[in-house]
Amino acid sequence: MLEELTAGFPILSCILFLPVVGAIVLWFVDDEDTVRSSTLTIALVELALAVFVLLRFVPESAAMQFAERVQWIPALGISYHVAVDGISVLFVGLTAFLTVLVVVYSWDTIRQQVKLYMMCLLALETTTMGVFLSLDLILFFVFWELMLIPSYFLIKLWGGGADRQYAALKFVIYTLLGSVFMLVGIALLDINYHQWASLHHSDHAYSFDLLELLTVPIPISQQILIFWLLFLGFAFKAPVFPFHTWLPDALLEGPIGMAVVLAGLKLGTFGFIRFSIPLVPDASSSETIVMVVVVLGLCAILYGAWMALIQPDFRRLLAYSSVSHLGFVVVGLFALNYQGLQGSLLTMINLGFSTAGLFFIAGFLYSRQQTTELSAFGGMAKQVPLLATFFLIIGLASIGLPGTNGFVGEFLILLGAFEAKWWVGSVAVLGVIFGAAYFLWYYERSMLGPLGSTVKSTMSDLQLREMIIAVALSIMILWIGLYPSPFLRIMNGSVQALVDRLHHQNTAALDNRMTERR
Amino acid sequence: MTFSLNLSLSDLLLLLPEIFLTCWLCVVITVDFVSPRLPKERLAYLSVGGLLATLGCLAWFDMNQVTGTLFGNMFVLDRMAIFFKIFILGSTILVILASIEYVDRFTLFRGEYYALVVMSALGMMFMASANDLLSVFVSLEFSTLGFYILVSYLRDDMASNEAGLKFFILGVFAAGLFAYGISLVYGETGKLVFSDMASAPATPGLIIGFLLIFAALGFKIGAVPFHSWIPDTYHGAPTPVTAFLSIAPKGAALAILLRIFIVALGTFKPTWIYLLVAVSIISMTYGNIVAIAQRNIKRLLAYSGIAQIGNVLIGLAAGTKMGNDAILFYLLAYLFANIGAFAVVIAVSQAIGRDEIEDYSGLGRRSPFLAFSMLLFLLSLAGVPPLAGFIGKLYIFIAAIKEGLYTLITVGLINIVISMYYYLIVVKKMYINEPVDPSPISISGSMKVVIYVGLAGTLLIGIYPQPFTDWVVAATLMFANFVAPAATVTPPSLLIGG
Repeated sequence: MLEELTAGFPILSCILFLPVVGAIVLWFVDDEDTVRSSTLTIALVELALAVFVLLRFVPESAAMQFAERVQWIPALGISYHVAVDGISVLFVGLTAFLTVLVVVYSWDTIRQQVKLYMMCLLALETTTMGVFLSLDLILFFVFWELMLIPSYFLIKLWGGGADRQYAALKFVIYTLLGSVFMLVGIALLDINYHQWASLHHSDHAYSFDLLELLTVPIPISQQILIFWLLFLGFAFKAPVFPFHTWLPDALLEGPIGMAVVLAGLKLGTFGFIRFSIPLVPDASSSETIVMVVVVLGLCAILYGAWMALIQPDFRRLLAYSSVSHLGFVVVGLFALNYQGLQGSLLTMINLGFSTAGLFFIAGFLYSRQQTTELSAFGGMAKQVPLLATFFLIIGLASIGLPGTNGFVGEFLILLGAFEAKWWVGSVAVLGVIFGAAYFLWYYERSMLGPLGSTVKSTMSDLQLREMIIAVALSIMILWIGLYPSPFLRIMNGSVQALVDRLHHQNTAALDNRMTERR
Repeated sequence: MTFSLNLSLSDLLLLLPEIFLTCWLCVVITVDFVSPRLPKERLAYLSVGGLLATLGCLAWFDMNQVTGTLFGNMFVLDRMAIFFKIFILGSTILVILASIEYVDRFTLFRGEYYALVVMSALGMMFMASANDLLSVFVSLEFSTLGFYILVSYLRDDMASNEAGLKFFILGVFAAGLFAYGISLVYGETGKLVFSDMASAPATPGLIIGFLLIFAALGFKIGAVPFHSWIPDTYHGAPTPVTAFLSIAPKGAALAILLRIFIVALGTFKPTWIYLLVAVSIISMTYGNIVAIAQRNIKRLLAYSGIAQIGNVLIGLAAGTKMGNDAILFYLLAYLFANIGAFAVVIAVSQAIGRDEIEDYSGLGRRSPFLAFSMLLFLLSLAGVPPLAGFIGKLYIFIAAIKEGLYTLITVGLINIVISMYYYLIVVKKMYINEPVDPSPISISGSMKVVIYVGLAGTLLIGIYPQPFTDWVVAATLMFANFVAPAATVTPPSLLIGG
């Protein structure tokens, strides 16, 4: 059983509930400017709390830290259990960071129903935090499902596209479809625990607690069933090819703020590394499953990149590049070795800066030309040099140029993939090349060359608020790119523990350890 | 069968809630008769007072574990009966409070309306305690009699009359089936009390008898294929009556179904499980798919109710203690969400005069409170966490998965996705569409109380379900002797479809 460190002060609960409490308080505020500034204050306090947790986090440790645990529904073995470890703590920081930027971005781009928008945004932050913090599977599921509601309203009410109704419904229905299967998987884990516990006369009959479920051996046939059920839930959300069709619609039709959160926070792949791989290790490392999932990942890399090459709309291009990047993450995860897992984890964080950053850039472009179609741009670098520069920095991070954060992550993934199977690595490398191609091609046609006919000569360069966003993102990109070791140190302990669990542990050893504990 | 009619005072204590309510019913009628000029609103509060007193008495019984049987086992007061009586009384109180404004639409007999509602509640309380086939039949007919009148209360309205007629004809038909079923079962076993039948051999007559009884009770809960009366009756009946009809009789009939399937037929579980699985799958799928096409909110809720009953039957199909707990818990969650949703429907129809889903356009602007409440109620019905409906569905699904009913669970889960679609259509109308008439909607005080209670229940059961799970677990304790012990290894006969 993993060690748990508790904090004296329930800081994770504060992080979890501060935004939603803030959202409720906002209900009573009428003035729009006050709404904006109080939302920003809440988001900044949240960021400060997250940074505090990151600073106090003990690196190189596999322990669950800042743990809080209270019984919630004892009859079903459900508890309120939150904690962070090396896998989740960076996502907490990333969520808080991106939310601040989204609030800053939305300051003057959202003009109608500002209060409701900010409330939805804060509610979304709470649910996202909940997904990252929960160690109880039902608690996790609660937040996972709840996330749909603010997302639905965000896409529907503030989306820019004509088909936003369709996109919002598609998003909800697809994600829901995946998650109901996930719920069955969760219930099977619970039943398995129950049967094992009743045989061994354990005191509580049911449990959804990740740490307790990890102590129980699961027969391999059950593991495979559970793996696929969880896989469906995470794959629809991630989205893993071929479950990705909702993503381009949601990203294109929804508001930029929503797109940043949807594309920047890789919840689905987080689910794999948090739950699937540790809970059903034998299934996750079985030949067939690894083969199927890795091939899906490779398909995603190539398909996403090819589709991105031909997209005339920048946001659609980003959506497909997201699919492609997720392919990388999946390939890295299911290399199931140290480099692969670490690379995937780091890449998930990196995409939070680069993909989300590109969506902000898309937003900047949109607010200048009211579209992100390529035909509306051309030769803009002379008009808007700062925008063009940051566009390049963030874009290069997204294609993984050495010196940016993207490189570190992708390099580790490729290393892991080559170590696992040489051909997987070779195919994945192709994705890097395509990635460079679609980005640079779009960049060249939109920013370089002669001034496009539709580009207004009065177009302004980055405003103060836009500068803040671009600079903040660029700092993070260069920091992780040039000096990644603080981030890697935070992850190391947990990733190592996961690799150990995958490779050295068999159920017999686990059984012994359990009997010793009694 | 021996009857001992020399009741002692302590025996009569078990009947105290029913006796008291009967007297109170007479008081309500008398008051209306003696002073016809009295505002009818007072009668409503008078009825609610009596119901609350009865509720308090039952709560006292529950706390002090007052239980027992009467009339040679015909009437049983155990903790499950108490649970269902509280359930029925709670829904009756909320329905009466939600009716107060609506009653002004009736042209005649406004005072008798409340008496009839209380009378139906009284019948259903007897249903919750019925422990043999005869008392089931009598109490079932007693409660339905009140409903026949209530459904057609809007006497100048064609739809209401049609609803009443349909309900009456099909209801009488169901009663006939029930009586025929009783005669077959009695003929085969010579027994009427459920617990005496437990060891009867399965003869063709007995099987047909119980199938007929199941059909009649299926009519009460509105499970497919016995649902055909539901949409038109729900549509045409006065909305508070629809709300009442959609909750209380289902609870009472489920109490009987639980007693029949667990106590009388517990040993035949491998056989009846197929029946329940089939009915459950058809109900869920049919209810949800047809609900998509509805234009009227009452019809939508009618079909969603059919689907919800399909979910409840999953718990019955599981046939374990946990399955029974889950049914009771699910009903609680359903009570608050459904009564709340109907309260919103009543409030909107008071302001607009129509119940089409189209009329909900822009409700978010016209009345943020009503729209937000409706949103929560619908999401709870759909089973979105952390609302009550989610925990209810989770409970039921865990109970069924434990029994290896994977096919049933898969269908149930796909149905959640389908149901989300039509609930979201209503949400979309409320929040996205522009209102035709942007004037705000005012809500009366008693209606606000109902909606607040619905909201409180929906949120509280979702966020802090522990007291409620404790309650339902205690309520089904007496089934412990009849339920097969929880299987640690799933028997192959239960793996339907795997």
